[in-house]
Parts: sequence; C-alpha cells; structure tokens
Amino acid sequence: MPNVISCLLPGVDFDRAVEGLLGEADRVAKQLGLRHVAVTCSSSDVIQQYAASHSDRVVSVQSHDDLDYQPESCLAMLDAACAALEPRVVLLGQDTYSQELAPRLGYRLGGSSIGDAQQIDADGDRIRVHRSVYGGKATAVVQANVEPVVIWLRARAFSPEPERPNAAPVETEHFDLDGSGNANFQATQIVQRQHESAAGVRLEDAQAIVSGGRGLGGPEPFDELRKLAAVIGAELGASRAACDSGWVAPGLQVGQTGKKVAPELYLAVGISGASQHLMGIADAKVVAAINTDAEAPIFRHCQFGLVDDYRNVIGPLTERLVDLKSTSNE
Amino acid sequence: MNLLVCLKQILDPEVPIRDFRIDAEKLEAEQGSANLVTNIFCENALETALQLRDRCDGEITALCFGPEPAEEVLRKALALKVDHAYLVENPGISQYGSSGAAMVLAAAIEKLPEFDLIVLGREAGDWGEGQTAGLLAERLGMPSVSFVDQIEPIEGGVRLRRQTDFGSEQLTAQLPIVASITNSDTNLPRIPKTRDIMLAHRKPLTTWSLEEIGLDEQSVRAAASATEVISLNAPEKTAACEFVAGDSSDERINDFAERVFKIIESL
Amino acid sequence: MYLLLIPTVAVFGYGIFRRLRQWRIGRPVSRFDRPVQRMIRVLRLGLLQTTIWRDPIAGIWHAMLFWGFVTLTVATTIVLIHHDFNIRIMQGRFYLYFQSLFVDILGVVAMIGITIAGIRRWCTRPIRLVYSDEATWILILLLVILASGYLLEGWRIAATDDPWAAWSPVGNGVAVASLAVLDRESLRVAHVITWWGHMALVFGLIAWAPYTKLLHIVTAPLNILTSNLDAPAGSLEPIDFETAETFGVSSIEQFTWKGLLDLDSCTECGQCTAMCPANAIGKQLSPRDIILSLQQHLSAASRQTEKVNGDQPDGSFSVIGSSSSLAPEALWQCTTCAACVHACPVAIEQYPKIVDMRRYLAMEQADLPDTLQDALTSMEQRGHPFRGTQLSRMDWADKLGIPHIKDVDNAEVLLWVGCGGALVERNLRSTRALAKLLQRAGVRFGILGREESCTGDPARRIGNEFLFDTLARQNIEQLHSLGIKTVVTPCPHCFNTFANEYPEFGAQWETLHHTTYLAKLIGENRLQLDLQSARQITMHDPCYLGRHNGITEEPRDLLRHTIDSDLLEMKLNGPESFCCGGGGGMSFIDEPSDQRVNVERAQQAVATGADTVAVGCPFCATMLEDGIGSLAHDSPVEVKDIAELLWEAIDDQPTTSETNT
Repeated sequence: MPNVISCLLPGVDFDRAVEGLLGEADRVAKQLGLRHVAVTCSSSDVIQQYAASHSDRVVSVQSHDDLDYQPESCLAMLDAACAALEPRVVLLGQDTYSQELAPRLGYRLGGSSIGDAQQIDADGDRIRVHRSVYGGKATAVVQANVEPVVIWLRARAFSPEPERPNAAPVETEHFDLDGSGNANFQATQIVQRQHESAAGVRLEDAQAIVSGGRGLGGPEPFDELRKLAAVIGAELGASRAACDSGWVAPGLQVGQTGKKVAPELYLAVGISGASQHLMGIADAKVVAAINTDAEAPIFRHCQFGLVDDYRNVIGPLTERLVDLKSTSNE
Repeated sequence: MNLLVCLKQILDPEVPIRDFRIDAEKLEAEQGSANLVTNIFCENALETALQLRDRCDGEITALCFGPEPAEEVLRKALALKVDHAYLVENPGISQYGSSGAAMVLAAAIEKLPEFDLIVLGREAGDWGEGQTAGLLAERLGMPSVSFVDQIEPIEGGVRLRRQTDFGSEQLTAQLPIVASITNSDTNLPRIPKTRDIMLAHRKPLTTWSLEEIGLDEQSVRAAASATEVISLNAPEKTAACEFVAGDSSDERINDFAERVFKIIESL
Repeated sequence: MYLLLIPTVAVFGYGIFRRLRQWRIGRPVSRFDRPVQRMIRVLRLGLLQTTIWRDPIAGIWHAMLFWGFVTLTVATTIVLIHHDFNIRIMQGRFYLYFQSLFVDILGVVAMIGITIAGIRRWCTRPIRLVYSDEATWILILLLVILASGYLLEGWRIAATDDPWAAWSPVGNGVAVASLAVLDRESLRVAHVITWWGHMALVFGLIAWAPYTKLLHIVTAPLNILTSNLDAPAGSLEPIDFETAETFGVSSIEQFTWKGLLDLDSCTECGQCTAMCPANAIGKQLSPRDIILSLQQHLSAASRQTEKVNGDQPDGSFSVIGSSSSLAPEALWQCTTCAACVHACPVAIEQYPKIVDMRRYLAMEQADLPDTLQDALTSMEQRGHPFRGTQLSRMDWADKLGIPHIKDVDNAEVLLWVGCGGALVERNLRSTRALAKLLQRAGVRFGILGREESCTGDPARRIGNEFLFDTLARQNIEQLHSLGIKTVVTPCPHCFNTFANEYPEFGAQWETLHHTTYLAKLIGENRLQLDLQSARQITMHDPCYLGRHNGITEEPRDLLRHTIDSDLLEMKLNGPESFCCGGGGGMSFIDEPSDQRVNVERAQQAVATGADTVAVGCPFCATMLEDGIGSLAHDSPVEVKDIAELLWEAIDDQPTTSETNT
C-alpha cells in the first residue's frame, strides 16, 4: 500500500514547522486512507519522539557520518528511503534544506513537485495544492497529475494534530555514503555555517517590520516598538519624519526615498501614510496600522487597523503577544 | 570558466493590485497595460555571474525559454555584456510547470558547449515556486545548491555563500554545478550603459524552436503538465481597512494581537 | 604714441585670439540665426544691463562705471578724430555741453561707481562675490586712470588758460588748485609726463583686459548675441545617438563652443549662486563655482592644445569630480529650476551644463543615486517614475465617466494627466477637480487612461537622454496617430516638454497648461465662478511654468476670481520664484533633513501669513505639502492646486461630489 511520507531533514530544530508538517501529513494520510510514515534524518531526540507520537511509522535514516546536512548525500538518502516506502505524497517543511531538495526528490522518485503549499486537498482523485501566486495578488489551485508528488509546505501555517496514544515503531536504516560510487556526493560540501542574529536581517529582506512615525513624538517610544518587534521577530523601521527628527537612524527609513520593503507583515505605528511612505511598502503582504486618526491615509492601505493612541496600545499588545507565543509553544 | 545564466520574463510584479486581472481561460494573469520584465532574482543571478566573470576569465551565455517578447530579456542581458544569448521560443505552453521549463533548458544546454556553472533565479515573481533550478540539475545530472548570493572561484571549483534560515553557509563545490541565486546587497543588479543598450540590439541572438533543440511541443506539454493550475483567483481586495472591534480597549488590543500573531505564526 | 598702440593691440589681439581658439575646441552649435532679434537682445541685456539691476547696488555701480567709460571712450575717440584726422568736430555747443561738461561729470560718476564697488568689495563683502587680487587691481587701475585723466585735463586748462574752463568743472577745479601750488610751465611739463603715464596705463589696461575678468567687455555682448533665443531660461540639447561619440560631457571639449564662450563670459558676479535654491539652503551646489571651475579646465585644456599642437586634447581633462564644485554629489543637487540662468547678467547657461555632466554619469558611467535609478527603471518599465505607487492611472477618474480620447467625437482637447497627477495620492483630488471643471464647462475632452505614459521629463533632467528620447518618440507617435491637436495638462513639466522640447522631435500639437486653458474657458464665459472664499492665498510659481515659460499672470488672474482679498506674494515670486525642490528628478532623492529646498520654500510661503498655498504643479503640491508638514505638525496651511480652488468657487457643485479617496 502506498504511503504518505513526511520528511524531517537534518539541522532543523523542533519548532512549529515540524508540528505543522507532521500534522498535515497525518491529515492527508487520513483523507487518502493511507498510512503516514515519517522519514527522519534528524539527530534530535525531541523530533524523533514527536515524529513517533504523530505518525504510523518512523523510518530513521542514519549514515555513518554524523547527520550533517549535505545537499547531495541527504538527497540520496531521502530518495532511497522514500522509494522503498511506495510514496504517494511526500511532504517537506519550509526550511532552506527542504526547499532545496523538494523538486529534486520529486524528480528522482519519478513524480512531480509543488512548492510553497498553503493548503492541501487530498479528498479527490488528485492531490491539489492551494498556493499564493503573483506576489500574493492571486491564489492558485495546482493539481499534481503525476505521482508521487513532493510538496514543501509553509509548515508553520498548518496546525498540529494531537499526540497519538501509542508511539509508532521506529526503524533505523543505515546508508553508506562513503563508497556509494556516486561522485556527486562530494561535489558540494558545506564547509562553514554562520549563525546570524536576527539583527543582521536587512529591512528589505525582513519578514515582519514594526515601523514608527511622527505620531510617536520622540525617540523614547521607539524602545517600546523595539520590544514589540523583538517579541514577534520583526525588524524596526521608521517613516521619514521619524528619521528626520533624529529619533532613529536614517538607515531605518522606509519609503520612496528610503528602503522599499516587502514583509509578510508591516505594522505601522503612528504613521499617517504619506504617499512617499506608502510607495515603500507597496510590496508588503499585510499592512496593519495603529493610529489615533481614523482618517489617516495609512488606513486606506492596510488590512486591519486599530484607532487608538499608541501609548495605550503598545505595552498591552506586547504582553498579549508574549502570552500568545508562550501558549502556542506549549 | 564557462557560465550559463537562465533568465525568465515575467509580468511586472509591481502592477498595481487594482490593475491586476486574471485571464480565466488561460489561468494566468492578464498582461493588460502592464509591462513584461526580467524576473528580479534572474537579474541577481546575472549580476552574480557578471561578478564572477569579472574575477576570472570566461564567458557568459544567457538562455531564456519564453515567447517572442522575451527576447527583450536577452537584449538587456546583452547590454550588460553577456557573451551569447539564446532564446528558445515558447509556442504557448503554460508558464506554470517548472518541469516543462527544466526539460527545455536542459535540452538547450545539451546543444551548447559544456558549462562549468549554471545559475538561475531562486524563484520567479509570477508563480514563485522555485523548482526549476533543482529540476534542471536533476535533468543534467549535476549537483545543485539553492539560495546562493555569492560565488567566488577557488582552486578546482567555486566557493558559494548561501542564505539559510539561521544565517549563512559557505560551500565548496566542484564544477559543474547548478546554483539558484537569491538577492543580497552583494548582487544588486548593475545598470547597463546607454551605449551598451544600443549595441545590444545589434548583437547576435540565436532563436531556437523546440524542434531545433530536439524536442517537440507535445512532449514539453506533457512534462509541463506534471503539475497543472486548475483554478486561479484574485481575491477582491476591499480597499477599506477592517478596524478591529470590541467594546473595551482590551478587547480591541486582543483582537489586534491575535491577527498579528496569526501572521507571525505562519512565517 | 601710435607706436605704443602696436604692442597693445598685439597683446590684446593675442588674448582674444587665444580665447577664440579656446572656444573652437567645443562642438558646433548654430547660434547666428535671427540676427535682428539677437541684436535687440544685446541692446537690452548688454547695453541696458537689465539683469544686473536685480541687485540695485550692483546695478548702480556697474551702470555708473559702464556709462562713464563709454562716454570717456567716445570723447577720447572724438579727440583722436579731431586732432589726428584733422576733422574739426569739437566745436561750439557740442564741445561745451558734451565734450566738456558731460564728459567731465561722467568721469566723476564712474569714479563714484568704482568707489561703491570698492566699498562692497572691502566693506560689506556680499558672499556671492569672488574675492580675487585681480578684481582689486582692476578697480585700482580704473581709478588711477580716471584720476590721471582729471589731472591731465586740469593741467591742460591751467597751461593753456582755457577760456571755456568753466564747462569742465572738475578739470577746472584741478587747474585752480594746481595753479595755487605750481607755475604754468611746470604744469605744462607735468602735463606731458602725465599724458604719457595716462596713455601707458590705458594701453596697459587694454592689453591686460583679455587676460582678466574684464574680458567680459568683449565676451558678454558676444555671449548675449549667441544666446539661446528660444529658451531664455536655458534648454537641453538633444543627442544624436547614432553619431555622438560621447553621451554627455566629461571633458571640456565636449561642450559646444557656445558652452565654452559661456565660461569666458563669467564676471564672477555670483548672481547665479545667490539665486540657486540648493545653495541657499546650504548645499554644496554652486553654479558660479561650476562655471569658474570649468573655466580653469578650459584654460588648462587650451594650454595643453598649444603644447600638443593639435585640435584634440588628450582627454585628460575629465571635469567631473575634479573639484568640490564639480563633484557628482553637487551635480545631483540641481533641480534644473533655471534660477541661475535667469539671474545671469551675461546669459550664461549654467544648469544645462550640469545636465550635460549628469548625462555622462547616467549614460556613460551608469553611476547615479539608487533612488534616481529606481525612478528611471520605473519610467522605462512602467512609463512612470513612481516606483511602488499603489495607484493605477485611472484611479483618480473613478465614477467621473471620462472617456478615452478615441471615443470622443470632435474632441477639443486631450487631457494629459501626467504621472504626478495620477499616481500620487495627494494629487488625485486636484486632477478630479480639473476634470470636473472641464466637464462643467462642457469641454469635449478625453484621456489616454492606462495608455498614457511619462513624457520623460525626469529622465531628461536626471541625464538619461536616451530614455527621454525613446519616450518622446513613443508619445509623439501615439498622439499623432490619435490625431491630437490640443493637449491640456496640469503638470508644468509635461507642459514644458511637450511645448518646448517635443517639437524638436517632430511633435505638432499645441500644448496648454491647465491654468492657461481654464483662463481661456472663463474668458469665453464657458465657465462661471460664483463664489469668493475668505482664503488668504499665496501663489507659488512652478519653475517650469513661471521661469521656464513666463506664465505667471494667468494663474494669478484665476486665483483673483476666487477670493475677495489680494494675493499675498512671497518675496521671490513670478520668474524669480524659489523652487519647491522637486524638479530635475530631485523629488526622487532623499535630501538631508536640514537641507531641504521644499522646507525652505514652505517657510517662505507660511511667512506671508497665507492659509493657502496655491500651486499649478503636482510635484510642487507634494513637495510643499511635505515641507509644510515638516515645519509644523498639523499646520493649518493648505496646499491647493489652482484647479481645486476654482472648483471650490463653483456655486452649485453637485452634492454627490464624492469624497476623494
């Protein structure tokens, strides 16, 4: 019987994405009436245990090397492991490595591949994937006409499934990567990993931005914004007025004559929304605003807003977000 | 070093949302009055290749699979002084379907002299799946690395820097290799000089049909339809902002926080 | 004496010849057509020196000096003719009134002029001047020449006991005073010696002049004679991309010969820099220093040419970045507002040279500020410079039912909205107001809607002439294919490019700025204004309307219809207007917060006490609104396009008049 496979790659920490990936694989398997096999290439015990309690079977892939991600060898291991499992659907997460390998794995398995899935329909004859296209301006439903289909998910957007009462059996498979004869194994080698703090992210690349404007009235409130930003993993930005006033560094300026940003979330606090500022955030997926003036132009360009003085909002909002985060991590 | 950069022409991603329309027949965006442009990550890929050529001898070939207007993308590449340009004309096969594109690119590459390094943009601004580089590597039997933003020559190959979830990685690679390129402050696309833009229109540019690279439309269609768009919708975006409601300030802040959190959670 | 004349003429002639040869290294340009018009211009600007009078003190002393020396030169020539050619013209009343009295007085006038100039140079020291030793020596020399002239006259009178001495009051004074000290014979000797001294000084000055700023006595009239008749505020020259060797200017010989003549015409008066808005707010840009710096390059280039004995210098005279005034940063501060050209007494075209150098940076080096490149890329790809705008070209026309021009039978005008009026949120309401006024007047008009593109004005002024050229040809083809005869546009930049620049590319339609057209509609009674508001209005003249095109009164007449009080004028208004800071692509550049042209202009506007700043340009509107916003949060002063103010003055506006979003 074919299987639905979830793949957990080396070097990935246990987080929401792992939960979402296993949860969705479980649901897809259920819809298709198939079994969910988790293929783990991870040395993380937490991940191994979580996989065992959220799947029908775990295949733990081990090599003689320690489980360090290297593109070519990892792909070969996944290919071998999945091919042996008669896959119909193979799901991967949204980490760099999964994105890198998904299409190649699909090709090697003789199937197809789809990237960046936001929803999977597995209740018809064919697997269908909903995904955002044209820079978020449209949504497409994509059908896999050739199976197996390898899909990487925006895993954090998928909800986890409850833990199963009985842990699945864990089988360990060993792969010999040294003398396997595949010359490509050594063709690329990751020789150095550099962990950068979030502070290193450029505004242009930031996934989320909290931005302050003239309405903040001075440099001090930006400290509060920084706290808020830290809680949600966002970068700090500012309007030209705020930069001009010297409240924050000029490099933080967002707008036509400053940085042009494209985050998933742009949270504008005390920014009225001058044309030139709006031109800098045209590519933001979701704009949210907090402003005292309900008539401020920024509200004509945002998805949701809160009409209130930032002074009443930022503190409680930050606390509330801390709460939400801790509950979701439990 | 012999370099190949694959370029894609897409609908201008900056088309204002109110001008964005969908062609319900073709299941793709209508061009309308918007322009076609070079995909931005392809421009980063080209820039990365140009920088590499600046550092070591070699030639750059630009290759594009697209309809006739896509010639413009290659002309721009010629203006930035790539050495050769090839257009494989798309007879109307859906732009979706990276496997079709990978098949065509691979067939064209087989016809050309061997390349040491093949670079592509990490994803395109239209369908944005980021599959082509990996699929192309498989078809060519080459190793591949994604999200690369810097390449420098080293003894026996190249050293690549790529962006990861946690920061960056350095890789050493033997050649040949396929790399998908992402943007960084080190590969901002350069601007062509006017004279080069003018000269670009006189430079040779080879156009191939699918047949000329040993393929036929049917087989490419078949490959491309491994995955197929079956519906495409542009949600009617209301210009109006949704003000969070609630009787008390706390309620409103809670609502607001939950909306923010939902987005953050999905990142 | 005539022997002395030979070396004088030779040295003078060589000086002039050297300059002539110097200018010849420039590229050709045709500047000798329409001789009558050109002569009239020389008379007005050269003889009456109307421009210098902007600074009344400079106007006065220069006129005194100028007319004094003109008179003395005429008188000297008459003496020459009388004595040496033996043509008896110094006779009777002419002798008494002109040759004696008038000349005597004008000499004093000239000396007073020199004194005023001296006081300015040594006491009040306005910053716009260049303080060189050369200027000092010239003034001293002129004064000595005049003084020795009076000594000569006085001693001649004393020696000859001239019966008409009273007609030369100053000379007579000198004579009386001298006789009190010396006897007649000594004076006769002194007269002869002084005569030779005087002549030596005069000849010396003549010989020296071409090597100093006095050269302008020759070059200024020549420069005015060959100046740009079609665009007194200066214009930009198209490039023939098929034949041009270099796009733009990086070395001195790439200017036209007229451009080089400009450099040698400079009197260092500094009017250009004094009027430059960028300089006024403390930026590096100084048009005067650019001209003087280029002048040094010209001299260096011509010395080099002499050495290599050929026409082509070896290209080692790259001017961009060679001095702080020619640094790229300075060149990227120019708004092309033309205040410099307008201010120049000798018709030098300063900002077109800046654009020439920008062309080199933009096209040959592809090296320009990022945000400007963004604007250019956007123009190229999307036909508008506003990268990141969330508006589409038709948003402003929502629910107004304005047809495409091709669907309008017997269309009177095409309304060319312009990117600024369609794609910047603040301006949508101005554009709506204009369209509603046209509808109200029953004008048969249409638009191009999504097919409208950028005229290329910012590209041209940023220096990407190639992009401008492309856009211009596309637009001309489009408008001609639609059979457009008349275009009305609310953007002075579009207006200026269409009216003054497109004809060089073959455009054949007439273009009107919306204020001109609205004035016409009111004049024809097609549009009645009913209401007068209590607004206190000051009018900001857009550079490309006022200075570049001389349209300053029509907008004001329109405004007077809408208010019951007088307009409050800023000190710098009309053709002297101070730029909003948005021209020349500068609205796409982030200026340092303490050096913003728009803030300075906003200050000038607010200082009038007006509650409304009227503008006729979408760029001015956004720049000034931004400027006022940075002066004071929640400032009550509004920026309104004239069309908005006129629409307010319509009595029975449809009540459905939607809110503008």
